Amino acid sequence: MSFEGLPKGSTDKRRSLLESMYLLEVVRGLGVTARHLLRNIFHTGDMPTMQYPEEKRVYGDRFRGRHRLMQREDGTPRCVACQMCSTYCPADCIYITAAEHPDPAIEKYPATFDIDLLRCVYCGLCEEACPCDAIRLDTGIYEIAADHRDKFIVDKEFLLRNTTDGTR
Amino acid sequence: MARLTIDGSAIEVADGTSLFDACRLARGESLPHFCYHPDLSIAGVCRLCQVEVEGMPKLTIACNTTVREGMVVHTRSERVRKASQQILEMHLINHPVDCPICDQAGECGLQNQYMAYGLYDSQVAESDKVNKAKALVIGPHVVLDKERCVLCSRCVRFCNEVTKTGELGIFNRGDRAEIGVAPGRELDNAYSVNTVDICPVGALTSRDFRFQKRVWMLKSTDSICPGCATGCNVRVDHEAGRIYRLKPRRNPAVNGSWMCDEGRLTYKDVHAEDRLLEPLWNGRVVSWADARGHLAHVVAGGFALVIGSAHQSLEEMWLLRQLAGTAALSGGLAGSDLAVGDDILRSADRTPNRRGLALAGLAEHDAAALAGLVRAARGAILVHGGDPAAAPDVAAAMAGRQDVVYVGTHRRATAAAAALALPGAMWAEKAGIFVNRQDRLQAFAQAVARPGNAREDWRVLGEMLPDQGRAPTGLKALRAGVAADLAPALAPTIDLDRLPQGGVPAGGDA
Repeated sequence: MSFEGLPKGSTDKRRSLLESMYLLEVVRGLGVTARHLLRNIFHTGDMPTMQYPEEKRVYGDRFRGRHRLMQREDGTPRCVACQMCSTYCPADCIYITAAEHPDPAIEKYPATFDIDLLRCVYCGLCEEACPCDAIRLDTGIYEIAADHRDKFIVDKEFLLRNTTDGTR
Repeated sequence: MARLTIDGSAIEVADGTSLFDACRLARGESLPHFCYHPDLSIAGVCRLCQVEVEGMPKLTIACNTTVREGMVVHTRSERVRKASQQILEMHLINHPVDCPICDQAGECGLQNQYMAYGLYDSQVAESDKVNKAKALVIGPHVVLDKERCVLCSRCVRFCNEVTKTGELGIFNRGDRAEIGVAPGRELDNAYSVNTVDICPVGALTSRDFRFQKRVWMLKSTDSICPGCATGCNVRVDHEAGRIYRLKPRRNPAVNGSWMCDEGRLTYKDVHAEDRLLEPLWNGRVVSWADARGHLAHVVAGGFALVIGSAHQSLEEMWLLRQLAGTAALSGGLAGSDLAVGDDILRSADRTPNRRGLALAGLAEHDAAALAGLVRAARGAILVHGGDPAAAPDVAAAMAGRQDVVYVGTHRRATAAAAALALPGAMWAEKAGIFVNRQDRLQAFAQAVARPGNAREDWRVLGEMLPDQGRAPTGLKALRAGVAADLAPALAPTIDLDRLPQGGVPAGGDA
């Protein structure tokens, strides 16, 4: 098998002498950089970079952000602790303990409803499984940061406070 | 014998067999049903098990039909399918379909049969349904939801026929008919939670289990109730190391389909606050390594007295006898754990294995005699299970001794009286054999993990054997030893390592 390239030690014959000296090419490269620099200085609006966090990207309506628990009219959770979401959840990140509600018309409610945001994969299967439309991922919140792992496990009160306008 | 044809296949059954049972044999699965129950009378009210019998003009319910020679039966014809679908639709007319908050969801007759035989679109608007009372507490253990009821009358028949207390009845007529408790009564018999088990829907739910867990999350292990000498066959439903409920397993030779309410709560002791979780040396938590050091020191001269208990497995009792050797041996406190029994299931003897003591050759002593044995012991004392020091006499005899070793499960009187208390396993945390009051050997399997640093009792006891060459290497080896030693008392057909489901009498099957 013969190697179609060049003999060992030779320079690339496809480059001209001028090119293989590099000096002119370095100057040409600096020219490209300078062109972009000058355009960005004088045409700031054309820059693809966003000024996050002052400026935020707009996502589509179907973007799945941090969860929220829907409320009844009296502010209590709509959730009846049927645990369909935690059963369906592929990441196993929803932890619910059910309790007896004093009102027999409601009967069952979540005493605790915790979501581990670090485990969650934001697949949205919980909202599909929910028979009461009690959990939604429509808050649009994607800035999920904290300084301790424990703070990513959010509770019922936290989830009830979440709203669609991205505030909490 | 009667020969008949069911769905084209010929089958031969004993005369007097119900067509329902014959169909189950022929089909390999039951006909759809709510009201039929093998241990209750035939009511024939749910009308779901209708089959087509050639020569009969109309469909007939299989549960209330006896097989006849030459019958030709169709259970999967279009007529039958349509009939059961329509009957199911009738049952669901006023059903609230509140499955999300219903504990029965996942093991519900309505859900299962709708998926198998229904799958129609409902023609009843939610607003047209008849509303009834929900979440009614009707007794110490049972909650009633009248809306979910399909009026199969199993619970009513149970209270009339099994407990003969008759608390429940069906009141009113038509779509206002509902299950209710007789005026001035409550469902408080000693077997009330069986109505929850046999309820095919979520009308009756257990207050103890209510909302604790969705049933599809539970894993089941076959076991034996440790609550009394009857040894009801049970299923332990557990998840993540926690037991959520006990359910009876059908065994016509022992408990039928039932178990008592008291027995159902025996699992609470497994998760009791006062479980012995770590070895204790004079009340101080020590590691197992340190505990072994203390043990070697205490029993340097061997045990002078070994005390067993009727709460332990047959294997452990036998091992205890090997351990005792020439030392004095007692089966524990005679007459302990006695309560009121009845002629349904509950035995006055609230220990699961008193007959096992007799089989393993351990004699019980009353408190005075046991205290005498303790005082006479010139050397270390081993107490395995039970709580003999709960008797003041025995506690007084043990007081001040520094050579009492206790292998047990709870920090109760004996654990406090012992110098060294070693944590053993509860029945649900180990495998073993109980011998019930009928001298029936029944095996139980390990359901949940042992908490803390508790260990299997036979391992703990095995380490104490003076001749470590004879220490059992596993449960199978231990059982081989038991079988060889107890051979004269056990029928030769019995394989202790593979007891049949439902147990076997010590004398073998008649």
